[in-house]
Amino acid sequence: MNRELEKLISLHDLDVMISDLVNKDISKQEKKLGLSPDVALSQLQKMREELVATIDRRHREMYDRLAKHYGNAVVPVVNRRCSGCFTKLPTAMMSSSSGKDVVTTCPTCGRFIYQCD
Amino acid sequence: MNRQCLVKWEVSADTREEAICELLDEFSFRETTRELLRIALETREVAQPTIVHEGIAMPHCRSILVDDFMIVLGRSEQGIPWPDDEVNLIILFISPVKATGPAEHLELIKHLVKVLRSGGAEKALAAKTPEEIAKILKFDYKKAASDE
Repeated sequence: MNRELEKLISLHDLDVMISDLVNKDISKQEKKLGLSPDVALSQLQKMREELVATIDRRHREMYDRLAKHYGNAVVPVVNRRCSGCFTKLPTAMMSSSSGKDVVTTCPTCGRFIYQCD
Repeated sequence: MNRQCLVKWEVSADTREEAICELLDEFSFRETTRELLRIALETREVAQPTIVHEGIAMPHCRSILVDDFMIVLGRSEQGIPWPDDEVNLIILFISPVKATGPAEHLELIKHLVKVLRSGGAEKALAAKTPEEIAKILKFDYKKAASDE
């Protein structure tokens, strides 16, 4: 998988972690388990900044725009469909041997799409 | 709780990082998926170690890389540095990211709070078999393919 795409997936998972810790119900339960979600949240936000700094500016801006618009900027391809908008992707796009080396986006919704290796 | 879990009875890892890798290997993830999940779980641990009881760690995350709950319990008689405390039981889980939000992830955490805070933690640490530990934590024990 393209390294930049891997970073975008990690950024997405990091954003999910951050949103979970901001969620009052999850935070309350984590406190009941003896964890300190506020401490974790602050650290994760710093780690996010570090990760974002390593991502190409163009991709970073696209990610922010897509996340703001759809709530999720990166989605998997399932049964040759973008799982964000469910559009069937062109066969050539899926079978391209060079596809693994580039950051791919859905031609319909624009989300970053990935196929696990 | 109607969720399946795998159990790695004797975790041989000497470090938190190795333990996370060893438990992820119980699933049949493809290489990139496993690596990205490892990064997510370790990121959460570096932000704050997930010690939820003396001797118990709960590495967890939600990820777009899984489409169902992935739960694995790891037991270590000798103990694993996590990194400042030593743990003998690891409850590792990865929840899927769903369009409906984190409700099921929250439900799983609530379940663990309830079980661990009502004597389940001590009982799980004292469990003698994989079946027993899964039963105490109220998961459905599923044998790993390598155990069958």
